[in-house]
Amino acid sequence: MTTATPNTTTIGRDIQLSGVSKRFGDVEVLKDVNLNVDDGEVVVLIGASGSGKSTLLRIMSGLETSTTGEVVVGGVPMHEPKRAPEIRGHVGMVFQQFNLFPHLDALGNVTLALRKVYKMTKAEADAKGMAVLARVGMDDRAHHQPSQLSGGQQQRVAIARALAVDPRIIFFDEATSALDPELVGEVTAVMRSLADDGMTMVVVTHEMGFARRTADRVLFMADGVIAEQGPPEELFGNPQHPRTVQFLSKIAEA
Amino acid sequence: MNVSLIWQSLPFLWTGFLMTLALAAVSIAGSTVLGLAVAALRTSRPPLLRGLGRAYVELFRGSPIPITLLFVYFGAALYLGYGVNLFVAAAVGLSVYHSAFIAEIIRSGIEAVPVGQHEAAQILGLKPTQSFRWVVLPQTVRIAVPPLVGQYISLIKDTSIASIIGLAEMMKVGQSIVDRTGDPVSIYLTVAVLYFIVCYPLSLWVTRTQRRAI
Amino acid sequence: MFEYQWRTVLAYWPDYLHAAVLALQITVVGFLLAFVIASAAALARNSRSAILRFVATCYVEAIRNTPVLLQIFIVYFALPSFGIRLSAVTAGTIALGVNVGAYLTEVLRAGISSVGKGQLEAAQVLGLSSRTVLLNVVAPQALRNVYPALVNNLIQVLLGTSLLSAIAVPEITGVATVVNARTLLFVQVFGIAVALYLVLSYGLSAVAALVERLSFKSPASRRARKRTSAPSLTGASS
Repeated sequence: MTTATPNTTTIGRDIQLSGVSKRFGDVEVLKDVNLNVDDGEVVVLIGASGSGKSTLLRIMSGLETSTTGEVVVGGVPMHEPKRAPEIRGHVGMVFQQFNLFPHLDALGNVTLALRKVYKMTKAEADAKGMAVLARVGMDDRAHHQPSQLSGGQQQRVAIARALAVDPRIIFFDEATSALDPELVGEVTAVMRSLADDGMTMVVVTHEMGFARRTADRVLFMADGVIAEQGPPEELFGNPQHPRTVQFLSKIAEA
Repeated sequence: MNVSLIWQSLPFLWTGFLMTLALAAVSIAGSTVLGLAVAALRTSRPPLLRGLGRAYVELFRGSPIPITLLFVYFGAALYLGYGVNLFVAAAVGLSVYHSAFIAEIIRSGIEAVPVGQHEAAQILGLKPTQSFRWVVLPQTVRIAVPPLVGQYISLIKDTSIASIIGLAEMMKVGQSIVDRTGDPVSIYLTVAVLYFIVCYPLSLWVTRTQRRAI
Repeated sequence: MFEYQWRTVLAYWPDYLHAAVLALQITVVGFLLAFVIASAAALARNSRSAILRFVATCYVEAIRNTPVLLQIFIVYFALPSFGIRLSAVTAGTIALGVNVGAYLTEVLRAGISSVGKGQLEAAQVLGLSSRTVLLNVVAPQALRNVYPALVNNLIQVLLGTSLLSAIAVPEITGVATVVNARTLLFVQVFGIAVALYLVLSYGLSAVAALVERLSFKSPASRRARKRTSAPSLTGASS
């Protein structure tokens, strides 16, 4: 684990997965997944619940380990148990349930890692924290507790918290699924601006509009495999795989 | 109800009262420290340590306090000769007994912190000890304080059991006065009131905080 | 040498056995008394009469904020001043029953409120009398929901019998103290006492579990509790 200040790390911004499978007890959640994500690419994973997309995301971010296969994130071989922890603090994750620290205010949430892992002084950490909160439009509520913020605001603070440590890649695990519909837009707007700035992003979402507008590539997952992938116009406009067609038509009905 | 007797006994009861408070304070500190250690055992990974913690908790929660107290007292008496400090023996006995309950309260507090909190901390690069100290512990404390105070109230009441090994806390002092004067009603009711005025405000606080938590 | 110590103490097994039986008797009677008192007090606290509510609350708070030992002493030593002279065993049983009754009151109250309002409304619409509703609708469900807490309090009575040694009741702790005075083998003497308490409490829990299984179809104690995984202080997680 490095104690270098953000931005001086040697971790890359790309991902390579080959032959990845994941088994929980008797259930095989992922079967032989192969995937490459390039520096700056925005990849969106869609699919029904149980298709394995969240598990895949969690394997890439280091929260789960694959049963078989090679997982290389930013150059770190995650499938090697001794080296997997190297990724910590260099990728960001935005959770469906926000997972903000309830006992700290927004600024505190954002600066905690800066102070404890990067050993910044309070002044340095606060400066960076405020900058990052401004980036997501939450600097005016820096001293609010999470309980005083709406869902959309909390999620934006969560994104700021992830950004504060200069991650190479950010993972979004259904970041807007727990939000009331009218709050989704403010979060996807922030995500869009991150994409425009060239951040490598892997996004699991049900927001097809976001996928259409912001994704470089959309992956449709079913039963633990990537059934189909391609640029959004192709996948949404001209789906080839029968499962993809089925899934998209059900979404359209809703 | 012999008011003049109560009035005359107050100075003695006051000494006992101070002894009760002192014993309670020391035991609260001791049991909390021990409880933290046992909670650490209970949540550690090696099965042996976890089993040790579990055995400790089961043993002391399943034994009556007098036995634990007598065991400590006679153990000390046998190995340290007759210079056994009653206060220390009582404090050790009470601390050990209540630490088993406190360990469980702390453990529940730790386990009540959602998994997502650990995950968020881990992704941010916080080491496990840092994550525990800055993310989990503050939340544990918030959850655990009301039940902990409840346990401390029990501890304060349990100081009365030290009377069986002869420590001159409030209960024992009351007993001595009753033995001398033969008026159990006045004295024991006074002692009851004294315990009540210490414990009741704490109980109210606990009920109030737990209601707010819901 | 060690073996000799154990044999010496184990020779007192008849005394220990009688003590254990007595402790068990006091526990059962005391708990039943506690249950009766608690049922009355729980209903009183939920009643519309402010006086009943006040009296019940005073009872609960007075008991819960004073030591059990003091309550035992009051029943045994103070009541004679009012002409009520009880044997140590009776006094002890009553004191324990009154004490645990206060805690049980809160348990039963929680149980009563845990029975959904919808049930009460449905029963009312069906035209059932409040007595029927109480006995046939509320009580069974309330008891089922708080059963683990009931068993906990039963064990508390058992552990409470230990304090009766202070008023010379020949229960386990009292006997152990005597044997210890004679042999000075406190490790074995109190070790056996602890073992007896553990055996008795596991026994009572087992019987209680059996009763639960026979009386209720989906016991509260068997509903799976989802546990979040806890980190270890030594950094051993994930």
